[in-house]
Amino acid sequence: MFFFTYLARELRRRMRQAIFIALGLAVGVGLVITVTAASRGVQNAQAGVLKGLYGVGTDITVTKPPPAFNPAAPPGGGGGTRISVGPGGAQVCNNGKCTHGAQTIDNLGASSGALAASTVTDIARLGGVTAAAGGLTLTDRQMTIPANIGSPGGGTLPQPVSFTVQGTDIATAAKLGPLSDATLAKGRRFAASDANSDVAMVDDNYATANNLKVGKTISIDKTKFTIVGLVAQPQGSTPPDVYIPLARAQALGTLGGKSLKGDVNTIYVTAASASQIPAVQREIAHMIPSATITTPSTLASQITGSLSSTAKLANDLGKWLSIMVLIAAFAVAVILTMAAVSRRVREFGTLKALGWRGGRIVAQVMGESLAMGLLGAALGVGLGFAGAAIINAIAPPMSATVTQATGEHIFTPSGESNPTVSHTLSVPMIATVSTAAIVGAVLLALAGGVIAGTFGSWRISQLRPADALSKVG
Amino acid sequence: MYELTDVRKDYMTGSRTVQALSGVDLQIPDGEWIAVRGRTGHGKSTLLNLLGALDRPTAGRLLLDGRDIGSMGNAELTRLRATAIGFVFQTFNLVPTLSAADNVEAALVPLRIRQRERRRRVIAALDSVGLADRARHLPSELSGGQQQRVAIARALVKEPKVLLADEPTGNLDEETRDEIIGLMEKLWRERGLTLVLVSHDSAVVRRAQRVGVMSRGRISFRT
Repeated sequence: MFFFTYLARELRRRMRQAIFIALGLAVGVGLVITVTAASRGVQNAQAGVLKGLYGVGTDITVTKPPPAFNPAAPPGGGGGTRISVGPGGAQVCNNGKCTHGAQTIDNLGASSGALAASTVTDIARLGGVTAAAGGLTLTDRQMTIPANIGSPGGGTLPQPVSFTVQGTDIATAAKLGPLSDATLAKGRRFAASDANSDVAMVDDNYATANNLKVGKTISIDKTKFTIVGLVAQPQGSTPPDVYIPLARAQALGTLGGKSLKGDVNTIYVTAASASQIPAVQREIAHMIPSATITTPSTLASQITGSLSSTAKLANDLGKWLSIMVLIAAFAVAVILTMAAVSRRVREFGTLKALGWRGGRIVAQVMGESLAMGLLGAALGVGLGFAGAAIINAIAPPMSATVTQATGEHIFTPSGESNPTVSHTLSVPMIATVSTAAIVGAVLLALAGGVIAGTFGSWRISQLRPADALSKVG
Repeated sequence: MYELTDVRKDYMTGSRTVQALSGVDLQIPDGEWIAVRGRTGHGKSTLLNLLGALDRPTAGRLLLDGRDIGSMGNAELTRLRATAIGFVFQTFNLVPTLSAADNVEAALVPLRIRQRERRRRVIAALDSVGLADRARHLPSELSGGQQQRVAIARALVKEPKVLLADEPTGNLDEETRDEIIGLMEKLWRERGLTLVLVSHDSAVVRRAQRVGVMSRGRISFRT
């Protein structure tokens, strides 16, 4: 009881100094909380990007690069479609079969390498994996080639019309993969009986832009698919345009001219916990050495745009600023505590003369420092919440651009190019103060108090009672 | 009873050794009031520090009730100060943030006495110096004489065997000085204390039973 009375009175006497020390610690702690909240917001935004690209519940995606293109192969024989334009018109070669003249090309092709569907089961069995589902990410390209192309005044090759098609495993679509995050806008979802049917669900925005409705049909690889439902994806995501049953996508899709029957090209994996993602990533890499494994952290490194800049800002400037402020706050706390102890030499000498043990006096000073640390922690938590609120109030939505290779190889007289496709997403950044950050920050402030108290205590331990009294007597 | 035999105390000042006490022989029986006077720097406060177990002699023997203070460890010296020795200082040395009652209670903290008993003893001690009605006052709200009374109450609340006073009236006017000395004399008589009082003031010194004079680190008595 006496301990607390003495402590409270002493803090009240040195209120200005106590508040100064506490405020110093509070600013450091507040910055740590704010930066941590901002980092967490960035992480959540990055996770949002992954979710936007691959659907809810996906921690890891597994893809494979497309097979190397062999430009020396005979026209169309190396896989894919080759269009040559000459004075005699266009020549379209597909898997070695070449046709001339006006024609419509409609291909459903993959841009990434194939993985055997059995790989999905193998991955699902790995430790730390909760669920795995396979999908086929395809692009339907349509191009109408006029007869007079290549002749003088015949014009140039028209741009192909393309849309993305997602082969969806109906059994797992609700839980994993791009369709898992979609809400049904019209019609119905896929039913188990649709597994081998020519039915499609269409993204609501794509449907509106192309005047597609439930009950109408859409041509994919020259096959008519009946639209059974329209779905809306969360704002900011870049969803596929059309979803069809995986079995139908496998039947129609090709990669380098080869059928994708029994194959998938994206595997969506849910890990048991965030901490297990690296271990699962290693296991998958061991199982499929050539696989491209995307996790939230690898995705973060591929992201450009303001989200990336903010992540760098939070991680670099924010982190170092917090550390510097904390060091300064600790130093100020130590200096002021030492100064206060020096001013109280007579007081401590008197207490020693009264029979107080050195440890009891040290505990008293340590208690005062800890109380200032606690006050700093409380103020710092408040400042941290305020900082996070300010970020949320003023931070504009961030853009994240993820660039991925299409796997296409385009040859022109000037050389080969490998085009990429960029997805730019708008993601809100919501700085979130976590309990762990609060606990960590409180511990930091208390550490500041303990450090200051330790230096003060060291000074007291050096005091001999006779010296303490004679210095001032 | 104090028994000092050839007690010496040296201090290091930079690379120089200063001999503060150079062979003090002294016996102070229980219940005696001894006054010590002498010029500044001749060892009065050093002697009081040794008697108060605030320091150890460099050489010689210093016994309190047969126990050698010079060979005691820090914990034992602390315990001795907590139980057997009361101090009164010239500058009162009250903790400025604590009330009069809390300052007196501070002397009981090392004794681990129950809160209720502490309170009772604090009130009794303040009452004995005539300040029961000032228990809640801070030192800054008390006069110099009242502050010294609180300091006396703090020294006596633990019921020590010895009371050591270093210039207890040095900061007081004559009237207050007489009050304080009168109070100390009364308490000394009532409680059978051993009282060692250091003072320059002849009006204070002449009330003691015996007066020692410190000179060049040695003590001598007039017969």
